[in-house]
Amino acid sequence: MKNKIKNLSLAVALTAISSVSLHAAPPIPAVTVTVEGNTVTAFWNPVIGATGYNLYAAPTPSYSPISKIPMGTETDISVTLAVGDAWAIAVTSEDASGESAYSNIETFTVKSADPADATASRSAIISGTAYNVILATYEELATRASVLANAAAALQFDSSDSNLLTAQNAWRDARNPWEQSEGFLFGPVDTQGLDPALDSWPVNRTDLDAVLSSGNSLTVEFVSALDDTLHGFHTIEYLLFGAANDKTASQLTSREKEYLAASTTLFKNHAEALANAWRSTGENYVNNFATAGQSGSSFVSEEAALQELVNGMIGIVDEVGNGKIADPYSQTSTELVESQFSFNSLLDFENNIRSVENTYLGRYLQNDGPGLSDLVKRNDAALDTEIRNGISNSIDAIQAIPFPFRDAISDTAGRALIEAAQAELSKLQTTLETKLLPNVVNYQ
Amino acid sequence: MNIKTKKMLVTIMLVKMTLILPTLTLAVPNAPDINVSAVGSQVIVNFDPVTGATGYKLYYAPYPELSPLKSMDLGTATSYKTTLATEDYYAVAVTSYDDSSESTLSNIDVASLNESLSGGETTLADASTHAFSSPAPNLDEAGLEQHLAGDADFEAVFVTAPASVNGGLGPVFNQTSCEGCHPKDGRGAPPEEGGEFDTMFLRLSTPGKDSTTGGPVAVEGFGTQLFQKSIFGMQSHADVTVTYTEESKTFADGKPYSLRTPHYNVKPYIDLPDDVMFSPRVAPAVFGRGLLEAIPESTILALADENDADGDGISGKANYVWHPVEKKTVLGRFGLKANNPTLIVQNAGAYHGDIGITSPIFPVDTSTGLPQDDGLQDDPEISMETLENVTFYVQTLSVPARRNTDKAEVRQGQIIFAQAGCGSCHVPTIKTGEFEGVESISNQVIHPYTDMLLHDMGEGLADNRPDFLADGNEWRTPPLWAIGLTEVVHGHTFFLHDGRARNLMEAIMWHGGEAEDAKNYVNNLSETERDALLAFLNSL
Repeated sequence: MKNKIKNLSLAVALTAISSVSLHAAPPIPAVTVTVEGNTVTAFWNPVIGATGYNLYAAPTPSYSPISKIPMGTETDISVTLAVGDAWAIAVTSEDASGESAYSNIETFTVKSADPADATASRSAIISGTAYNVILATYEELATRASVLANAAAALQFDSSDSNLLTAQNAWRDARNPWEQSEGFLFGPVDTQGLDPALDSWPVNRTDLDAVLSSGNSLTVEFVSALDDTLHGFHTIEYLLFGAANDKTASQLTSREKEYLAASTTLFKNHAEALANAWRSTGENYVNNFATAGQSGSSFVSEEAALQELVNGMIGIVDEVGNGKIADPYSQTSTELVESQFSFNSLLDFENNIRSVENTYLGRYLQNDGPGLSDLVKRNDAALDTEIRNGISNSIDAIQAIPFPFRDAISDTAGRALIEAAQAELSKLQTTLETKLLPNVVNYQ
Repeated sequence: MNIKTKKMLVTIMLVKMTLILPTLTLAVPNAPDINVSAVGSQVIVNFDPVTGATGYKLYYAPYPELSPLKSMDLGTATSYKTTLATEDYYAVAVTSYDDSSESTLSNIDVASLNESLSGGETTLADASTHAFSSPAPNLDEAGLEQHLAGDADFEAVFVTAPASVNGGLGPVFNQTSCEGCHPKDGRGAPPEEGGEFDTMFLRLSTPGKDSTTGGPVAVEGFGTQLFQKSIFGMQSHADVTVTYTEESKTFADGKPYSLRTPHYNVKPYIDLPDDVMFSPRVAPAVFGRGLLEAIPESTILALADENDADGDGISGKANYVWHPVEKKTVLGRFGLKANNPTLIVQNAGAYHGDIGITSPIFPVDTSTGLPQDDGLQDDPEISMETLENVTFYVQTLSVPARRNTDKAEVRQGQIIFAQAGCGSCHVPTIKTGEFEGVESISNQVIHPYTDMLLHDMGEGLADNRPDFLADGNEWRTPPLWAIGLTEVVHGHTFFLHDGRARNLMEAIMWHGGEAEDAKNYVNNLSETERDALLAFLNSL
């Protein structure tokens, strides 16, 4: 199934399930739900070796009956529901050994699409995007960073396979909102050095090995004084997943667990600092951006804020197509693959384009408000359609690349699908660069 | 010319007008209110008719010199249109007259065709945080491809060798990537007290001139740059901290301001010689540097007046520096004291020193023979191709267009900028020449607001560390283009070589030496006039 709107009545349950048998493997996916008007999209990360996934849905508040919808190898679904529908969903993965436990359970309620969005002023669009998308994404990151820090702390007390899996999933969960923030890498994430603190790449493995072998006490204070190439997502990823997603709990040394505890605490602090920099009750950068063109904002005009959003979209589409995908593909080198340790690359790429989608539509998770799309649609409906199609085609094309990405780059069929994804990304980038960026400043 | 001469000119004009007055008392007509705009290759000066006027006179002078002042009678016409060249820049004003008297001058405005196009055809109208980091819009397809390749190199983060990706960091360094010190291709910032030196470093040397290069003498055990960071297990050159002292001051109108002076505390890994000299250097922005490289040497030299032959108090001087590849002394352009001859040498030097990455231009690691030597035989750590791509990238970054150029306050500030004499060193308009290999920066009329020359900035700003021909008081005029976008791109407004100025007005009030008169002129302005000057600077 492609990521297109379907009329699927979840009330027509295929099978009512009262219990699910649990097995040690396969890994549990992490699911994300977004709501735009009465369109609900759920997507989850692919897991290694999975032969299929199942979506479970139950109406709230009763949580009964639970319906099971086999998803085959698809990793997303988009449906149109009725206003007022309220559901809880979760996913599982399946392989030869059976079915995994439930993923995180996400609940949502379908509210009506706000008709005022279509005529929203530029100022309302800028402000809406600032609060509903950008600030909300950073808050989600801060929340999930805290979960990751807790999971790493738990590993120190009990180094079980199950705790390692929990920590690994917590890493994947935290990765989602971060990758979905890369469509707007401006403001405090840049000016306060939080991007390199959270997401430096490559990892300084030579120094990391030396630190772990040293006699230094691995406190948060000690770790924070090290260079950012020993901090953040990929350092934590390397310790949790190993060089090729093959880490077992028994391989975790006590030094590694100490370093994980310290670095995830530091990571949580940085994520919190980022959210706080934007929060109204914090440094209030959200207001600086939302009031673009007004006295007191560093953005000299509304046009500057619109340029900012579109430049951000172009930047990440370019980076995914011409950097994150292109570099390892052109040199057939797994060493150049970001998030190679956890095999999370394809989901990273997908989330980067979802960042573009969120920014463009003005929605994130269950926040939905006016977005750039509303501005574009009333000035050039054909362009709006072109952009929406470009975004969804790019996501589809990335999903079509065989998992994991580090293997797809050396496989003939995989390379053909990679090229197809690059073609879609390039098309989207051209649309944004040549049609949206020069014109958006003139739209009213 | 200096301020006195300019003021005299205006006085002469006023005196002239007084002498025209007849013995009988008659009403003097009002001065008009002029509006200047540009259409195509023409400028138009417009104004409403003045009651009782029988005619009008146009006064004009080149900007920013404001001299020689010329006039032309317009008769009863209430507008004037003329063709200008792209590099023309004039200050204009109009008077009205009747049978017996002439009015005072109207508002003084500026006439030019393209003053918003700070980077000529490389200008991009962008006021977002991407203002400094976008490719020049006049690049062809091949140029854009090379620009983007260089962009990726500029952002590459280096790690300790051995590493499969980007190995070779340090062993001692200031930062791990170009982007690290030049975020979004802009400038760095000083630390607050107790903070990290992430985007600035200290240069150091002992007195004298190096026998080969004629430049700063390296300090034994260190070199000419202090590296406060190191790879794990190696000792850095020093721990450096900064404290600041404040001095409260007031403008002539009594309004207060404060200036802060940084003081550096250096704890070196081995003893430093007693006569060591330090120079703090915040990373400058890198956009527009191609255009500056494309300014013909003769243009820069023509702006120089080392012995102040014209008696205006300004004595811009060219720096001549060592070219490590050509092995000879050539004009210096880049770096805060113009100590680098070309961009590729600047970039190679930055890789070599700031990050610890060797290249074919500087193939020997900075720590060779020192305790921090890692003993690895992995030089050069980047190729000539990478160096060329990064250089092309920097050369072809766009310059953002000016904002708010039609606001009255900005236009007023533009005139004050000239009257204060700022334009003597912060030269508004320059033409680049043909630059081999980079078509987009060739033959452009640009507005960088720099003469690329060294000037004595006074005792207060002195680093007391000579750098080739630059003495301890001299700094190269930094370009002012895009300075108004510093806040939105960086979230701060720290200026000057060590970031001591917390805003533009503090930066102005630190000016001394050759700029003492200009600083005093600003000190004596009213608050409204100071605000207008700032509005103009923030429009750049």
